[in-house]
Amino acid sequence: MNLLDVPYMLELVPILLRYLPLTLGMAAAGMVLALSLAAGLAVIRVLRLPVLNIATLLFISFFRGTPLLVQLFLFYYGLPQVMSVLTTINGITATVMGLTLHFSAYMAESIRAAIVGVDRSQTEAALSIGMTQGQLMRRIVLPQATRIAVPTLMNYFIDMIKATSLAFTLGVTELMGATQKEAAGSFLYFEAFIVAAVIYWAVVELLAWCQRRLEHRLNKAYRR
Amino acid sequence: MIRITNLVKRFGGAAVLDGIDMDIARGEIIVVIGPSGTGKSTLLRCLNFLERPDAGHLVLNDLDMDVATASARSILAVRRRTAFVFQNYALFANKTALENIAEGLLVVHRWPRHKAHARARDILERIGLADKGDAYPASLSGGQQQRVGIGRAMAARADVILFDEPTSSLDPEWVEEVLELMKQLAAERQTMLVVTHEMNFARDVADRVIFMESGRIVEQGPPSQLFSAPQDPRTRAFLRKMLAGQSDETALKAAK
Amino acid sequence: MLRTFSLLPLLASTALALAGTAHADDDVLKVGMSGSYFPFTFVEKDTLQGFEVDVMRAVAQQMDTDVEFVTASFSGLFGMLESGRVDTIANQITITDERQQKYLFSAPYVYDGAQVVVKRGNEEIKGVEDLAGKTVAVNLGSNYEQLLRELPYADDIEIRTYESNIEQDTALGRVDAFVMDRISASQVIQEKPLPLALAGKPFSKLRNALPFRDTPAGRTLRDRVDSALEKLRKSGRLSDISKRWFGNDITRP
Repeated sequence: MNLLDVPYMLELVPILLRYLPLTLGMAAAGMVLALSLAAGLAVIRVLRLPVLNIATLLFISFFRGTPLLVQLFLFYYGLPQVMSVLTTINGITATVMGLTLHFSAYMAESIRAAIVGVDRSQTEAALSIGMTQGQLMRRIVLPQATRIAVPTLMNYFIDMIKATSLAFTLGVTELMGATQKEAAGSFLYFEAFIVAAVIYWAVVELLAWCQRRLEHRLNKAYRR
Repeated sequence: MIRITNLVKRFGGAAVLDGIDMDIARGEIIVVIGPSGTGKSTLLRCLNFLERPDAGHLVLNDLDMDVATASARSILAVRRRTAFVFQNYALFANKTALENIAEGLLVVHRWPRHKAHARARDILERIGLADKGDAYPASLSGGQQQRVGIGRAMAARADVILFDEPTSSLDPEWVEEVLELMKQLAAERQTMLVVTHEMNFARDVADRVIFMESGRIVEQGPPSQLFSAPQDPRTRAFLRKMLAGQSDETALKAAK
Repeated sequence: MLRTFSLLPLLASTALALAGTAHADDDVLKVGMSGSYFPFTFVEKDTLQGFEVDVMRAVAQQMDTDVEFVTASFSGLFGMLESGRVDTIANQITITDERQQKYLFSAPYVYDGAQVVVKRGNEEIKGVEDLAGKTVAVNLGSNYEQLLRELPYADDIEIRTYESNIEQDTALGRVDAFVMDRISASQVIQEKPLPLALAGKPFSKLRNALPFRDTPAGRTLRDRVDSALEKLRKSGRLSDISKRWFGNDITRP
């Protein structure tokens, strides 16, 4: 085979970049929803709320214990055969739902660990001045847990961006699907996937940079 | 103002507090002394409901409750009228000195922000940290942190401030500034219940000293009486041990 | 804190709200395809094209409806058909007994054969009879795996199923050969810069058609598509499309 077909790669960049907003959009939506859900699950776990705690454990066990692709197929292809209303869920929504449920199971555990990792004296101090459990969580524990959890959560976000590439199995043409189809048209697989890889890589590096900035800010209170 | 009757707290069967009765008058400064593990800290923690007592009765001004069955509401009410100073300072790590002091006013007492911050700045002035308002706890010395901890307790104008060994975690160099601040509060007749091993502080500042051992109050009285003429042999033994290390001649003599 | 508990229903309702337009409605013929099967369905410069695309456009025109193409990886296509997200699949779907038990098929519109393809210069494999003891790639969900398993020496063939990039891996020598329909195999070899060669003659007759759900509505639609296909065949348009893409007529047996 010849060396890299560089003109083809340059031509491909703007084409593939058109699919980046969808890839990032699905990941961002999934991240926001997964974070909210995971925070709720983590609080249930920390407070050991009766019944809900068991349900949460089961939820976490299932969504951590099965591959994301299996979950996506279950939602998108399997469930509609049982519940016909679900036929109306489109591939993008199903992907976001899948990412949300799957990653919230992982995130719930890291958020729980972060909450538990906040020093007990912080809780006592807050209680001693008369805060309610809710105020204590919102004002003292969660902000401190955030700092502990951010590096792990950002890693999950990066994972999530890459996991959106599974959406093509649900008929969503995102960055990966577009690459696959372009490569099928040109048979320049190597070139096409290099372009895709570089785009993913650049995005993740940009995020890592944002993460460092964010961590720097969150650590402001902890520098001597 | 405060009356505690027959306060009992057990940890796994063993009674750490075995029927404590205590009255605290407004403006009174009480120092609790005694060997480690005799329930002094637990007494303070029970008064703030950081520990839930197993039995007892508490009257705090207009509040009157059986502590074993107190509702969440009553517990919050008690906490809002009692302030706690922790041995390890326990400042909110994510908040500045100013915010630490203002937090209770803002969140618990629902003061508007400008008012809470104005009062917090006022307190910073009084604790001698006017220039440290924007500093985070991690950047403060132990002594400064504990002064902010006391400032936080001062903010809510609690009926009583509970001091749980406020100088025990401090490097020796910082102990004096914290004791000075406590003396200043005592001079202002802030009601205080202090657990400490600082015998000089007890003797100079307290209106009344309580000696506790094995979960009971063994002996109490004004410092002049308790230090110079302890009645119970256990009190005598404890004071002898405590004062042996100190160079203060009079204290030594007094214990004999 | 309690606010977080209400998230699940919220999530479900947003999902449903977002989903509004996804249902296959009556005016549009929704056609699933992989978009990665040259020259039947593929993308060049962000434009979906190929033989299947042209045929389905002509069919829709004949039926006087609009057509909408939905691309997904091959393994997702039948799931889309079953869950009602597409009406049919135009991706060189070969009629097999198993598929016929489950789906309704239109009349065949492509006649083809299964073809063994090897890396150029491979002298060992001269046809399907030489595949014993070799590693052979097929596309996931395609019927070539079934065809290979029916061979008398099937036990000696190591079959690998691929999601995509089957040609690439053969060219790289990761597998000894792949099996694909003769038409697209010839196209790949002719047009693309991969060192591949046909090995022997096609070894099985294939008839490719459009599958539909086996429901009354599916049957009605199948019948309408069939009559459209028949008209296209009679008018010569089907042959024209074939000649444009392949230079010869693959739509007749």
